[in-house]
Amino acid sequence: MTWLKLVEGYMPMQMISELVICILVFSIINYSLKRAGMGLPKFWAGIFVWAFVNVFYLKYRIYPPIPFSVRAIYGTVSACGIFMWVSGSQQEWEEFKRPIINVLDAKTGMTKFIRTALLILLPIGLWGFAYNSFLPNFDEPIELRTVHPAPPATTKVHGKTYVLQTASNPYRINPEGKYDQAYSNAHIVDQSMGRLMKDVNSAEENPWDPNAKGYIKHVREGGEIFFQNCHFCHGDNLNGRGLWAFAFNPIPANFTDAGTIAQLQETFVFWRVSKGGIGLPGEAFPWASVMPPWEQHLTVDEIWKVVMFEYWHTGYYPRTWE
Amino acid sequence: MHEIHSEIGHIEKRMVMNEKTPAEYGGRGLSAWLLSCSLLMGGLGIATTSYAEMAEGFAEGSRPAPPSAEKVEAGKRVYFTKCVWCHGVGGAGDGPGADRLWPRPRNFNSGTFKIRHTASGELPLIDVDLFQTVTHGLPGSAMPSWEGILSEDQRRDVLAFVSTELVKDRSWQDTEFEEFHVLQLDTIQPVPPTVESVKRGSELVKELKCIECHGLEGRGDGNAFNLKDDWGFSIQPADWHKCWNFRGSRQDAYNVKNIFRTFSTGVSGTPMPSFADNTTVENRWHIANYVASLCERDMDVDIAGGNVTDEIAAALVAAQPRGIDPLSDKPKVNFVVPSKFVEGELPADEHDERWKLIERRIVAMGGQITHKPRNFVNRIDDVWVQSLYNETDITFMFRWDDRTKSVQKDSVDWEPYEVNLGDYGIEEQAPGGSKFADDPEHPESIAAKQTAYQVFNDGIAFQFPIKWQELPAPRKPRYFWGDEGFPVDITKWTADGELKAYQGTGWDVDFDDRDDFTEQMKLVKAEWKNGRWTVIVTRPLKGDYEEDTYIELGKYIPINFFVWDGHNGDVGRKMAVSAFYYLVLEPPIEKETYIYPTVAAIGLVLVEGWILTRRANRRKGKA
Repeated sequence: MTWLKLVEGYMPMQMISELVICILVFSIINYSLKRAGMGLPKFWAGIFVWAFVNVFYLKYRIYPPIPFSVRAIYGTVSACGIFMWVSGSQQEWEEFKRPIINVLDAKTGMTKFIRTALLILLPIGLWGFAYNSFLPNFDEPIELRTVHPAPPATTKVHGKTYVLQTASNPYRINPEGKYDQAYSNAHIVDQSMGRLMKDVNSAEENPWDPNAKGYIKHVREGGEIFFQNCHFCHGDNLNGRGLWAFAFNPIPANFTDAGTIAQLQETFVFWRVSKGGIGLPGEAFPWASVMPPWEQHLTVDEIWKVVMFEYWHTGYYPRTWE
Repeated sequence: MHEIHSEIGHIEKRMVMNEKTPAEYGGRGLSAWLLSCSLLMGGLGIATTSYAEMAEGFAEGSRPAPPSAEKVEAGKRVYFTKCVWCHGVGGAGDGPGADRLWPRPRNFNSGTFKIRHTASGELPLIDVDLFQTVTHGLPGSAMPSWEGILSEDQRRDVLAFVSTELVKDRSWQDTEFEEFHVLQLDTIQPVPPTVESVKRGSELVKELKCIECHGLEGRGDGNAFNLKDDWGFSIQPADWHKCWNFRGSRQDAYNVKNIFRTFSTGVSGTPMPSFADNTTVENRWHIANYVASLCERDMDVDIAGGNVTDEIAAALVAAQPRGIDPLSDKPKVNFVVPSKFVEGELPADEHDERWKLIERRIVAMGGQITHKPRNFVNRIDDVWVQSLYNETDITFMFRWDDRTKSVQKDSVDWEPYEVNLGDYGIEEQAPGGSKFADDPEHPESIAAKQTAYQVFNDGIAFQFPIKWQELPAPRKPRYFWGDEGFPVDITKWTADGELKAYQGTGWDVDFDDRDDFTEQMKLVKAEWKNGRWTVIVTRPLKGDYEEDTYIELGKYIPINFFVWDGHNGDVGRKMAVSAFYYLVLEPPIEKETYIYPTVAAIGLVLVEGWILTRRANRRKGKA
C-alpha cells in the first residue's frame, strides 16, 4: 500500500473515508449482481466482508500496527454485526446457513470431501494455535505512560521560583511592551496545510524581516535556540520526527499534534522544558526520557523564547487559566 | 580561441554577480575561488565537448521554464517559515542550526547539488531531483521528508524560490553555459541482481578503486578520513551496509536504481565522481547490484574482505531485505534482545555456527543530548547485538560499523572511572550561529572540526539495574548510569583492551569499581576489521546479589547501551546512547506446551462427533 500514503494529521479522516468508499463499492456491486440475478451467496459475502475489514484493512493497511488484542475486539464486534445482517429475516438466515448444513449432510462427493477435510484439519489447526499460544511469548511489553502528568504548583529555575498559575511569558508582548496573548495569537502561522507564516513581507509576521521587533523578533530568537538544541529529537517541523526520534523510547513529543502543547498552559511547557525528563513525576517514566533538563543548557529567557517559538511555528496558542 | 574568451567572460560575469574579487575572498577563500573556477571549466568542458552526450545511458534534457513571480513569492513564504533555520537567510547553508550539524546544510549559492539525474557538473533537474530531495529528505542528514507537511505545490514553490533567488552563481536559464544531459533511468533496462552480477560488481569496485575510499568491505573505512567537500567541510564515504542512510535513497532504501543513479552522475561538490564516461551501463548495474546486496539484511553475510566467491555472492543474493519502519525510514527496531540456551562452552569467536541460532537485533543509537557535554554528531548510529547463554554464563556479541579504529595514544589526566570531564576541557560544540557568519569556511562549526578532535578510545558499555527483581514495575533506574536509589551494573569495554565492571549511581557520579566481578568477566574477542568492530563479552549469570545483576530465565531485564567513537572525540558523557531494551533469556520449552493443545484437539474431535451424530439423528427424525 505504498502507493496511497496515510498523511499525518489526516489519518483518521482518511481511514473513515476509505472504509466508507469500500462499503459503498461493495454494496453497489452486491446490489447490481442481485439485480442481474447472480446475487452473492450470503455465506460467502459475510466471510468476505469480515475478512476484508479485519484481516486486510486493520492488519495490513493501518500503520503503526494495531495490537492483536484490539483487533480481536474489532473482529468480534464486526462478526456480531455481520450475524445481525445475515439473520435479518428467516429466509436470509436459512440462505446463510445452507452451505454449512450442506457440508454437514455431505450428500454430494464435493461436500463429503470438504466435510472429511474439515474434520481432520480443524483439530490439527486448533492444536497448532494452542501450541503457539502456550509457547513462551517474548514480544515487546506494553508500558502505559502518562504523557501530561499533573504539574507542580511552583517550579524553581535558575534560583528563581515561578508560580505556574501566575507566571507569564515575558516575551509575549504587544508593540506597547505589555503581555498580550490576543496580540501574539494574531501573528502565529496560518493553520492551513504547511502552517506557513501569514505574510512574508510584513515585519509583524516574518521573524526574519530586518525590521522585525518585539514579539516576532523574540520568535526568531526562540527559533534559533530550537534549531541549535531541540530539532535533533523534535524535528525540523516540530512534529517529533527528529534525527534520533526513534532511537529513543518514549519518542519525542509532536508539537504539531493537537494533543500536546495546544492543550497546555505556557507555564506547564516552561516547567517541562526547564526540568526535562528527569524532573517528571513517577507515572511519566522519568527514568526513560532523554529530554534534558534545559535549565542545564539554557537561560530562563531562552526557555521562554523557545516555548513561544513552538507555539508560533505550530500555529497553536497556549491555553489560559480561564 | 572564441571559447577561451567566453570562458573568461563568464568568470568575469560571475565575479560581478558575486560582487567579490579573489582578494576580497582573502587567503583562505582564494582556494575556494580557484576551485569554483575549475568547477566552471569542468562545466564548460561539458558544454563544449558534450562528453556527457556520449556517455552511455544519457540523453539531452530540456531546460526548465522560469517560474512565475507568484510562485517565487509563495516559495519565499515557505522558505522563511521552514528552511531558513538551517539553510540561512542567503541560502548559504549557514542558518542558526548549521554549526551543530554534520553533514552541514546545503549552501545553495553555487548551485552544487549532490543527488541528480544530470551529468557531472550540471545543474540538477528542479522538478525531479530537487523535488524528490524535498519530498523524501536526505537520510543520514538532518534534512527531513517534507511530504505530508508541505503540499506538492508548496514544495514546488519553495524550489522556485531557491532556484531563482538563492542559487546565485549559476542559472537554469543561462542558455549559453548550462546544458542538461539526463540519465534515462526509467528506460534503461536493469541487470537482474544475479549471483554472477553481484560477483562481477565485487570485482569492478576493486578495478575502479571504489574500495580506496569505501573500504574493502564497503563500510566507508577506506583511506578517506580527511576527505573534504568543495567548501572545506569534512565528509565521509558512504557505508554500503546502511543503504537507509544513502542520501539519494528516496525512502526506498533497497532500490538498486538509486545506487545506479548516484554512481552514474556522481555526488557533486564531493570527491565522489561520476563514473558515466568510463563505465558501461552494464557494468554500472553490476556495481549497483553488488553495493545494494551489501546493505544489511536478515543474514549477516561475511564477505571476506571483499573477495566475493560464488558461495558468498549466492548468500548475498539469497538474503532478504530487513523491514524498514516508515516512521523512521530505518530498520525496524524490536526492543527485546533475546538470548538462547546452548550446551557446553559459549562461542569463542564470531564464526561459531551457534550464533545462527539466535536472531541479531539492531539497537538504534542517538547522540547523548541530555547532559553536558552533549554529542550532536553520533558517528555510530546503530549496533547489532546477539546473545547466547549456558548454565553459568551469558555472552554478548556486539558488532557495529566504525570507519576508524580509535585507540588513545596520549595519556590523559583522568581515571577511567571518572565521568565529569568538563574540568579537563571536554566540551560540547558551541551553537555558533551568526557568530561566524562572515567566514565562509566556518572553522568553528562541527562540520569543519570533524577530523580535528583529540583521539580517545572507541568503546561500548551496557547496563542493567542491580536487583531489578525488586523494582516496583514499571520503575527502572535512570537510563543514564542509574540513580542513587536504583544503581546499575555497568559493563564497559574500551579499545585499549580493558573490560571492567562498574556500579553507576547517576549521570554525574564517578563509577564505582566492581573488581570482583571484573575478574569473572571475559573479553572473548575485540577486533576492528574493515570498518567494523566485533566485541564478544562473557559474564557470569550471577554474582553478588547486592552488587551484580542476577540474570534469570524468562524475565524481561532492562538493558541499555552506550557507544563511543574515539575519532569523534567521544569520551566520558560524550557518546551515543540507546533507549531501554529488554534482555530475555528464552527458557527451554516445558512439557505443558505439548500436553494442553493435545487435550484441546481431542476435545474438538469429540465435539465434532457429537454435532455429526446430532445432525444425523435430526435428519432421521425428519425422515
